[in-house]
Amino acid sequence: MSKPTLLLIDDEERILRSLRMLFFTGYNVHMTTDPHEAIRILRDEQVHVVVSDQRMPVMQGSELLRIARETSPATMRILLTGYSDLDASIASVNEGEVFRYLMKPWNGDEVKQVVAEAAAIAEAGFALQKSHAESAVVVPGKKPRVLIMDNDEATAQAVHEVLQGRCEIIWASDAQHAMEELAKQDVSVVVSDLMLGETNVGYILKTIKQLNPQTQCIVVTSFSDTNSLIELINQAQISRYLPKPLSRGTLARHLEYLLERFQALCNMPSLQQRQSVAPISNPQEKQLSENFTSLLGRLRKAGA
Amino acid sequence: MRTENSSGKDIQSLVIALQPIAPYVQLEAVADLFLNSDYADVLSLPVVDDEGRPVGIISRYRFMDIYLKPYGRELHGKRPVSSFMGEKPLLVAHDQPLAEAALHVTQNMRFPLMEDFIITERGQYIGIGFVVDLLKAMELQMRAHSDELNEAYSRLKSSQLALVQSEKMASLGQMVAGIAHEINTPLGYVQNNVAMGQELFAQVQAMNDGYETLVDSLLDEQANEEQVTAHMQRVTTLRGDTNAREMLEAMQGLMADSLYGIGQISELVLNLKDFSRMDAAATENMSLNDCIESALNIGRNVLKGKVEIIKDMGELPRITCAPSQLNQVFLNLFTNAAQAMESNGRLTIRTWCEDGAVRASVRDSGKGIPSENLTRIFDPFFTTKPVGEGTGLGLAITHQIIQQHGGEISVESQPGTGTCFHIRLPVAVTVTQPDMPVHAALSLLQAA
Repeated sequence: MSKPTLLLIDDEERILRSLRMLFFTGYNVHMTTDPHEAIRILRDEQVHVVVSDQRMPVMQGSELLRIARETSPATMRILLTGYSDLDASIASVNEGEVFRYLMKPWNGDEVKQVVAEAAAIAEAGFALQKSHAESAVVVPGKKPRVLIMDNDEATAQAVHEVLQGRCEIIWASDAQHAMEELAKQDVSVVVSDLMLGETNVGYILKTIKQLNPQTQCIVVTSFSDTNSLIELINQAQISRYLPKPLSRGTLARHLEYLLERFQALCNMPSLQQRQSVAPISNPQEKQLSENFTSLLGRLRKAGA
Repeated sequence: MRTENSSGKDIQSLVIALQPIAPYVQLEAVADLFLNSDYADVLSLPVVDDEGRPVGIISRYRFMDIYLKPYGRELHGKRPVSSFMGEKPLLVAHDQPLAEAALHVTQNMRFPLMEDFIITERGQYIGIGFVVDLLKAMELQMRAHSDELNEAYSRLKSSQLALVQSEKMASLGQMVAGIAHEINTPLGYVQNNVAMGQELFAQVQAMNDGYETLVDSLLDEQANEEQVTAHMQRVTTLRGDTNAREMLEAMQGLMADSLYGIGQISELVLNLKDFSRMDAAATENMSLNDCIESALNIGRNVLKGKVEIIKDMGELPRITCAPSQLNQVFLNLFTNAAQAMESNGRLTIRTWCEDGAVRASVRDSGKGIPSENLTRIFDPFFTTKPVGEGTGLGLAITHQIIQQHGGEISVESQPGTGTCFHIRLPVAVTVTQPDMPVHAALSLLQAA
């Protein structure tokens, strides 16, 4: 492929110059301190990857990425910021649908690798658009399955109310139960808290996404820790992060959107790459994930 | 007879259950009673009728009046006490509050003190009470009250101290967070630049080796053509791969950026050091402009993204001041301004010299302060923020610092348009210690 196009936005020019150096060869680099200029570039050119700062005078990064998503959906979006503000992080997930959330000061090799990965995915997407090679394979409409991992009754109630029988709803009481259900059949959307009883189930979300990239995940939680959210963005590519208490309207809107997205990804599997995840960083979690995967594999074989 | 009854808090505890005398008892018998050593402390004897109601009182004094006269005993000894008794004894109900009883007694007793008071329950005699005991009980009560008040006062003072300290901590915390964020940016690009410099060095070193080897082989009379060609190839490949000229040029720029970034970090660390001397009363000669710059640096994070900063700084003479305190003042004003301006605001800072004084104004384009609050904004604990946000001490401390510098701070505001703070500091300044209560707490902290 010819050099991929990279768009860098930050209000500090020295950051831009420094970042650009990482991509000196091998990329066609645009850089600007002006978000409006960035939007223009996204409109007029085929940009593979956009990397933006969060805290900027004219416009917040998450807002810019939201517009980027609307303007050029195939462009992969990365947030690179020194400022870990929970609200911004949530916006970057829910509105910006970012591929990766990277912290400053950054690790040069990590950024290069993430951008390369993103560029490859974008390139595949563009190629597909051009060739129309893959026509949407409409998968016969099985009733979508929604898995709830949350001991809070209110969540289960909310999901039931919103979906009203259109989907098969499974309310997992613990990790074991969740695994058994996943072994039976794939799940379209997971609605999960971060804790299931005493267990932190982040590793389950990450594992599910590794095995089944088309599954969409909504995290609903009253626990707000920016660091764990960032991990979930990068390692589980969660689709939405909704704080509790849940509003019916919000949940309804997002569930609808994600059920459609799941269907779209089933119909066009190549799109699934867009939500590929980074490997799990925490060693214990990694171990848990591997155990989960192998157990799941065994259950599936046993059931088949 | 005499017991320590002065520890009680009510009349009941003062009761001395003295056997009363009946109205018909003869004076002789009364004389005997008074002479009895058991009755040594008793000033008077209560006279109570058959139904238990107190009807009179006979005091030792009155008795002496009668008996001291010539033949008093012989003349009156057989007569009943009712003929001589005082018919208006001081009556106190047993459940009367101490303070009330004391008031009644002290208002009605006569001097010299001749009588004890009679304590009744539902109109019935139950005993007498010594006035001395009553007054002692009152004194104890007052002392207890006074102790309570003292305790409440010291609790209040310590919670006030805690609030002042927490305001200081909050402002310090804000400053530290601001600096941490500020440092992240230059740290980001300096780190990256150095890492890439390292990589580039390795590449350029390889190239250099390649060139050296080639030149050596060209100069070497013994080298054969194949070797030279091989070396030439290598150099050509390296050259193509590395794109050295462009990269080196770019790197030059990045090195300059890195030095700038390191300068930024140094400045921020310096600011940190300045602020860490917050408690010091240390004074220096410096220009107010420097304090403002320092505060702007630290507050940059709060102001960033929202605010256009316009500076109009005049030539200012150096003044004697506590720079960390003035830094705190300006940081407080800038933070308040940032909070008043939702987005796209303008902060105008002017300094100038006038009439032997250094003047500064800080104007924002925020939502302004309504006139009814304007007079109160420097009051300690006054805040328009919701509970839990802010202690309401920022401006109070600011005001106090300016005063300590012998200066003045005033404010004007137009709701919807903006607010402007004016500061005036005399050029010849002695930084004084404060003397008002809140301020006393502050100076305590400064000494700590």
